[in-house]
Amino acid sequence: ATWRYAFEEAIDEVQGVFAQKFKEEVEANSDHTIQLFPYGTLGESADIMEQAQSGILQFVDQSPGFTGSLIPEAQVFFVPYLLPQDTETLATFFKESEAINEMFPELYAEQGLELLTMFPEGEVAITTKEPFESPDGLNEVKVRTMTNPLLVESYRAFGATPTPLPWGEVYGALQTNIIQGQENPMFFVESTKMYEVTDYVTMIGHNNFTTAVMANKDFYDGLSEEEQQVIGNAIDAAFEHIIEYQDGLHEESIEKIKEAKPSMTFTTLSEEERAPFKEAAQAVEQEFLEMTGEGGQEILDQMKKDLEEAESGTSG
Amino acid sequence: MSQDHDHEHADSQLQSQTDTTSADNQEEATYVSTLPGPLGMIDVAIAKLESLLLATGVLLMALNTIANVVGRYVFRESLFFSEELNRILIIVITFAGISYAARQGRHIRMSAIYDALPAKMRKVLMVVIVLFTAVFMFGLAWYSLQYMMTQAGRGRVLPALQIPVWTTLLIVPLGFFMTGLQYLLTAIKNLMEKDVYLSTVVLEGYTDDEMEV
Amino acid sequence: MAVTIFSIMIVLLLLGFPMMIPLITGAFVGFFSLFGGMSQLETMVQQMMAGIRPASLIAVPMFIFAADIMTRGQSAARLIDMVMSFVGHVRGGLAISTAAACTMFGAVSGSTQATVVAIGSPLRPRMLKAGYGDSFILALIVNSSDIAFLIPPSIGMIIYGVVSGTSIAELFIAGIGPGLLILCLFAAYAWVYATRNKVPTEPKASWAERMRAVRNALWPLGFPLIIIGGIYGGIFSPTEAAAACVLYALILEVIVFRELDLKGVYNTAKSTGLITGVVFILVAAGAAFSWVISFAQIPQAVLAGVGIDQMGPIGVLFVISIAFFIGCMFVDPIVVILVLVPIFAPVVDAVGLDPVLVGTIITLQVAIGSATPPFGCDIFTAIAVFKRPYAAVVKGTPPFIVILLCVSVMLIFFPQIALFLRDLAFAD
Ligand code: NA
Ligand code: NA
Repeated sequence: ATWRYAFEEAIDEVQGVFAQKFKEEVEANSDHTIQLFPYGTLGESADIMEQAQSGILQFVDQSPGFTGSLIPEAQVFFVPYLLPQDTETLATFFKESEAINEMFPELYAEQGLELLTMFPEGEVAITTKEPFESPDGLNEVKVRTMTNPLLVESYRAFGATPTPLPWGEVYGALQTNIIQGQENPMFFVESTKMYEVTDYVTMIGHNNFTTAVMANKDFYDGLSEEEQQVIGNAIDAAFEHIIEYQDGLHEESIEKIKEAKPSMTFTTLSEEERAPFKEAAQAVEQEFLEMTGEGGQEILDQMKKDLEEAESGTSG
Repeated sequence: MSQDHDHEHADSQLQSQTDTTSADNQEEATYVSTLPGPLGMIDVAIAKLESLLLATGVLLMALNTIANVVGRYVFRESLFFSEELNRILIIVITFAGISYAARQGRHIRMSAIYDALPAKMRKVLMVVIVLFTAVFMFGLAWYSLQYMMTQAGRGRVLPALQIPVWTTLLIVPLGFFMTGLQYLLTAIKNLMEKDVYLSTVVLEGYTDDEMEV
Repeated sequence: MAVTIFSIMIVLLLLGFPMMIPLITGAFVGFFSLFGGMSQLETMVQQMMAGIRPASLIAVPMFIFAADIMTRGQSAARLIDMVMSFVGHVRGGLAISTAAACTMFGAVSGSTQATVVAIGSPLRPRMLKAGYGDSFILALIVNSSDIAFLIPPSIGMIIYGVVSGTSIAELFIAGIGPGLLILCLFAAYAWVYATRNKVPTEPKASWAERMRAVRNALWPLGFPLIIIGGIYGGIFSPTEAAAACVLYALILEVIVFRELDLKGVYNTAKSTGLITGVVFILVAAGAAFSWVISFAQIPQAVLAGVGIDQMGPIGVLFVISIAFFIGCMFVDPIVVILVLVPIFAPVVDAVGLDPVLVGTIITLQVAIGSATPPFGCDIFTAIAVFKRPYAAVVKGTPPFIVILLCVSVMLIFFPQIALFLRDLAFAD
């Protein structure tokens, strides 16, 4: 059969690379073919999600942050300084976490979705027009955020003026100085040319962009065990591939940006410099708990426990 | 040609699409329904409600957008819900607008071939067109109602305003339904009267080249 | 399936069905045949709603509203009087000024639909009075507004840049040359038109008269200041500038000139809402139709049969131009870019074409497609706002389309038209 798979990014960005690997694996190991639909070809993130729920699409990649309007607990990925930056620890965490592999699938199932995997897309960098090293440096800086209460709350806590703006207006708004900053993973900063309209890239280590791949649940449950096995194997292979692919992607993107714009300045804040940001982030965690109640608390606690295990696992 | 209208007579010489400026004289006059008795009263009430939604929708959109700018510069705080509110207003304006436009015979059509036909054929074709359009509008009303209920079932909320998405869609099935009703009434009007009607109150008959200032 | 859908749409269109019906029927037939029945029509509704979701669409009702207030009041007339005092004695002067104003306004506001309204509604009555034919005026307004696609900021170029990984800054600069060239050719055509049709000129105004006209226009000169100063000065986004214009127009006409009372404001808002509804339902229906084309992978199927792999760079550029031109005639330009650019990317790479040149040519096709029958948003807007029949709006279009197509061909053979400025700015 022909299966359809939509994602939120262009074909050569991280989600696209994952999807291509998945397609390759499924097609090599079964008679099924997969059609890929990159960003915007079938609508925005919320649209492809709904199309997956109604069974028009068999597979969809949506970042949990966007899923927050459907599954509030998924917003836990917007809580700053929760996820570690170390790639290896992250990969271990995503593979072994009880929260991700047991708790979230139940929540997704309630929405008619089979959660196949979650994977990281890279550390979120902040690009601005002026350098900053502390929340004071962000004072009166308008940073574009998605229309999401936790992101807005985060940047308010960091000292900036959060400015929700549709993505289509961001490049122009940075060019004309309506806003002075935005945040995204490094590969996205490179591919969307955000470096052309900002001058400083700062890593404060507050988040690692996470995304999730799902299947329509009725479709998935209707498959034979063999076919489910093919999908599972393909997901595993694509996961390994994407972790490997991302190893060095961050640096590669930096190199590309430097080549295109040598004056671009890259700064990674030290642990000490990060401390005031981390402290400010406590308020955001509180906000998350208020928004999601008991369910949120459970997920958050479990994730922290899983993270501890992943960290001790890789260091020990 | 006069833009004043006299709805007392069913065949008042209303012309759609002959105004020379964007200023809209027709809509400014109080709408008078051509439907009899209580039906006419309901029709007028709905027309009033639609125009209220249109006007306040546009004014609120301006206010909301300006308030966001003021907030950003004066209070250093963007209105976090501004974008979502505008999205809701666009839906309200569009779906109140299509029904209101159907009533005024203002929906865009390509009439070159139609206009060249003899009167009798135009009449038949017009009945076919408005009935076909009514069927599609009723169909869309039904499926948008289904879509709205699906949304309600999934419980999706707007991220900033935290209100359920389905409530922002309430006007969609209503707008389609009211539009379908307008086209259905236009079909009936065309079957009852001698002339050809674009809507229950607007006669066909704009011309291509006549243009007075 | 594609052939059936297009045939049905064209027949319904020609018979005189309301324009939304061919589009909705096209989408409906698509959904029906893709999913074997009515089961997925909810997604059709979803895509209609998605069509009117982009926040940048707000600029359309806002500029319609502002322009309508200005036209009902005195602001527009005073601004035009000022322009006329300088160009009234030049043959075709008013038409050339209109073209330039559309290009500038469109470039800055980022919305060609808003331009059709904001510049078109005050200037069209004046051009009629001056003796220009209505079809010429409408075509001039619609086509000049579409030059704005090429002049920064351009949303089409931003999307192309992101999908193809091309520098947006370079694209922006590359668009200026062809944009200005088209404006010059339009101006030349306007001059020819005015000469051939013996459009009368006004006597040359004295400097005293000109100064008086400028003084009269001092208040309304705030509009270009808000729009150009506000956007390039980093105070507003284009959408916000539109709302600021509404506020300023209200202040001028209600308080300063006392031309409009609150009832007038209410009625203007209502008429704005009506026009917005008429246009946006078409945007919505168009989005559902685009989804069908994209989901069924029709472009991929059509292009697979063209044999583009065996062509040289010139051939590839021609195929790209034609594909985007036809695509934008029927489908929303943004979707066309998102769907087609990745399909062409490998072959563009293989024959070694400059992606900036390709982006410029694609943006030009988008501009042409939006002004070309049968389906074009700017045509719809002109019909809705000026209350003119479809045929009248489209009748004057051919000379402009010919000019645009000539520029397309020139760009293919003389890429320097686009790349000259880019090479100058980005020389190492
Ligand atoms: Na532009
Ligand atoms: Na078109």
